[in-house]
Amino acid sequence: MDSSSVEPGPSAARPSASSAGVFKRITATVGPENLSLIIALAILVAVIASQTDSFFLTRNLLNIGQNVSVVGLVAIGVTIVIVSAGLDISVGSIAGVASVVSALIITQFDTEIGSVAGGIAAGAALGLVNAGVITFLRVNPVIATLATFSAFRGLAFLIAPGGRSIGVLDQEFAWLGIGRLFAGETFPGIPVPLVILIGVALIAHFVLRYSVFGRSVYAMGGNPTAARLAGINLTRMKFMMYSASGALAGLAGVIVTARTSSGQPASGTQGLELEAITAVFLGGAILAGGKGTIAGTMLAVILIGTLSNGMNLMGIPTFYQLVAKGLLLIIAVAIGQWRMVRSERLQARAIASTSVEKK
Amino acid sequence: MAVAPILQVANIDKAFPNVRALSDVSLDVHGGEVIAFMGENGAGKSTLLKILSGDYHADSGTVTLDGSEVRFHGPKDARTAGIRVIYQEPEIIPHITVAENVFVGELPTKRGAVDFRKLIADTWQSLHDFGFEGLIDPNALGSSLSPAQRHIVEILRALKPGLKVLALDEPTSSLTDDEAALLFKLVGQLRAQGVGIIYVSHRLHEIMQIADRIAVLRDGKLVGVKQAADTSEDEIVAMMVGRNLTDLFTRDHAIRDQVVLSVENLSSQWHHDVNLTVRAGEVVGLAGLIGAGRTELAKVLFGEYERDGGVVTINGKPHDMRHPSEAIAAGMGLAPEDRRGEGLVLVRSVLENSVLAILSRLSRLGMISPAKLRATGGPLIRKLDVKTPSLDQEVGKLSGGNQQKVVLARWLAARPSVLILDEPTRGIDVGAKAEIYRLIDELASNGIAILLISSEMPELLGLADRILVMRGGTIAGELSRDEASEEAILRLAMVHHSPSLSPDPANPGQAMQ
Repeated sequence: MDSSSVEPGPSAARPSASSAGVFKRITATVGPENLSLIIALAILVAVIASQTDSFFLTRNLLNIGQNVSVVGLVAIGVTIVIVSAGLDISVGSIAGVASVVSALIITQFDTEIGSVAGGIAAGAALGLVNAGVITFLRVNPVIATLATFSAFRGLAFLIAPGGRSIGVLDQEFAWLGIGRLFAGETFPGIPVPLVILIGVALIAHFVLRYSVFGRSVYAMGGNPTAARLAGINLTRMKFMMYSASGALAGLAGVIVTARTSSGQPASGTQGLELEAITAVFLGGAILAGGKGTIAGTMLAVILIGTLSNGMNLMGIPTFYQLVAKGLLLIIAVAIGQWRMVRSERLQARAIASTSVEKK
Repeated sequence: MAVAPILQVANIDKAFPNVRALSDVSLDVHGGEVIAFMGENGAGKSTLLKILSGDYHADSGTVTLDGSEVRFHGPKDARTAGIRVIYQEPEIIPHITVAENVFVGELPTKRGAVDFRKLIADTWQSLHDFGFEGLIDPNALGSSLSPAQRHIVEILRALKPGLKVLALDEPTSSLTDDEAALLFKLVGQLRAQGVGIIYVSHRLHEIMQIADRIAVLRDGKLVGVKQAADTSEDEIVAMMVGRNLTDLFTRDHAIRDQVVLSVENLSSQWHHDVNLTVRAGEVVGLAGLIGAGRTELAKVLFGEYERDGGVVTINGKPHDMRHPSEAIAAGMGLAPEDRRGEGLVLVRSVLENSVLAILSRLSRLGMISPAKLRATGGPLIRKLDVKTPSLDQEVGKLSGGNQQKVVLARWLAARPSVLILDEPTRGIDVGAKAEIYRLIDELASNGIAILLISSEMPELLGLADRILVMRGGTIAGELSRDEASEEAILRLAMVHHSPSLSPDPANPGQAMQ
């Protein structure tokens, strides 16, 4: 046994002994799915950089980071749910409710911490509602969260006085959305939301990979009956997962409030669920469950963010960008399928030739 | 035989990732004969069948049907050409009727719409023609069928005009003896009609009874073809594994006095008045026909299905298991009958599957160190001699026997005081079977109480210290090791038993009464 690769995860393809080249070793560490995302990203960057001068400016790169952080947070929660063979369509609406809740708290009680906590708690609570509908009422997750997708958006408008956005003037609170760390003369500073995203992504990565909860998510995604018969409480798992997904959507909603200086029932959070789900599948998860990683999702989020940014820099209208995102997802999944088939075929051929030699 | 063979397979090669499944296999099948394919799991039987059925393409070699070479581009081609394969686990579409399942892909139509009247009539006719009348209702839904009925549907699908070669893959693994007898009669009929029949099974006894010739495969190569009349079970087994049949069953008996599992007056949707005890180190066999409620009993005990009444005591303490996690905490383990569907997470690794039941036990503050996972799972996988390229291999890519070993490794890791094994050797080759028997013996001698559900008589007779026979949802009788014999078990299992198989989804446990 090679002790250097100890991850139990799916990407833990082990390097084949000493003959492994640098490339092979990189593939083994990063995982083949993630590697193709990195290659796609590299090609995309090369194309954009050849067409425009401003892409590699520090300011622009940090802007990409700023822009992907909200959808990135949502995508982390959705990754967990999709790996478990579930789905959460309601995350955008949850973020909308959280945005309004956090704005209400800060305007009424003037507490930043309370506002952030309130937004996250509201998200978690709505996640629990999803889990309750899925487990106790036995509604399929797609349908359950499709229903709450609509219901929660309505709720966001209902709790916002007059159904309108709520202005938030608190500067300290706004720092969460637009603040920059380590800003200097020449360095524009790292966006606070990006720091939050990186922190949350790291935690989620370790939890999904190295915790009982995370390993159980993979098991129940791969085969719920086997997971239950191995003693995993699926009901409890669902409550944990959907509330985590809701809490992360809630956090995303709080950041939207901070960034726009207003609690928004709709604007800023609408369509978030589809962007997040796109990123999760682009990142290597499968609808059947049991596969997918936080690293893959994060790479996909960066890829989509870079694509949007590049097309903006090149002056390509938004409509084309939407088409391009759709194509990207289809191409990515198709390449994944093709590569799987091809690798099996190659392996088979290799074995056939070696056994013939043995004769 | 002077007659030209109906099907000729010549120099077939086929390789998969990590395994060379077939090399240079050449074989003839004649019309009007039953040729058995035997071999351990992974010997290449299924691969050969799948090449014949058009599911796989051979890397090289030829298949000749009726004198002309054929190349199938999919199962449909093979079907049209006259080769029909019936797999171990029949593909039944759950939400449509038996009749639609039988004629799926070729529904009779009238003015563009499906002619349901003709469909039902045709199904009745073929049920009648092949002697399955009364066993199955053409209007029943696919999902309500028992395993035996599913097989019948699959067989009816194959028995359409143009049938030249019929291949049956482990057809009796889920059939009762009555149903199997019916199947043998049918095979006899088809043989008389000149159909070439390929019969794949691990049940030697059955093969000797039904086959004209026996082809033995080992590690993807054809070891030899014997006339059934000129060979013996021992010779075939020796060809398959290179060891003798008598080596398979040896067991020390290490029963201790302490009762580990005790069940009193258990009742459920399927059961009434079930009483049983299993002592430390004891292997208690649970025999019975399909539908007697054995698998359901295992799941009720394990907290997967609901229990209506009765007391279950483990190590002297009553437990009210309402979820498998509670059963595991109480010291139980269950290796379910359907290991791919219920035992394993096929898309995850060997390692993950082997430690799945003890994740919390290995964790500290909810986190598990990957090194600890390897240190726990690795030695067990090696001890059980699971054939896998690495611990990170997806478990779905292993052979059946190795998959079962991974399930057993999980329970070795969990160290239960009671272990329920539901058909632990179903669909597993002789070599792996012997290893699993040895393992059961070892677990028992370590003081684990074992409840062994099995439909294979020799297995029960060889392994069990006592045999309980279930019938109609309760324990019909108990046989000591000395009293137990195939006849005694069957007598208890079949009293009042009529071969009616009418589906009764509301109360499957009673269907056999």
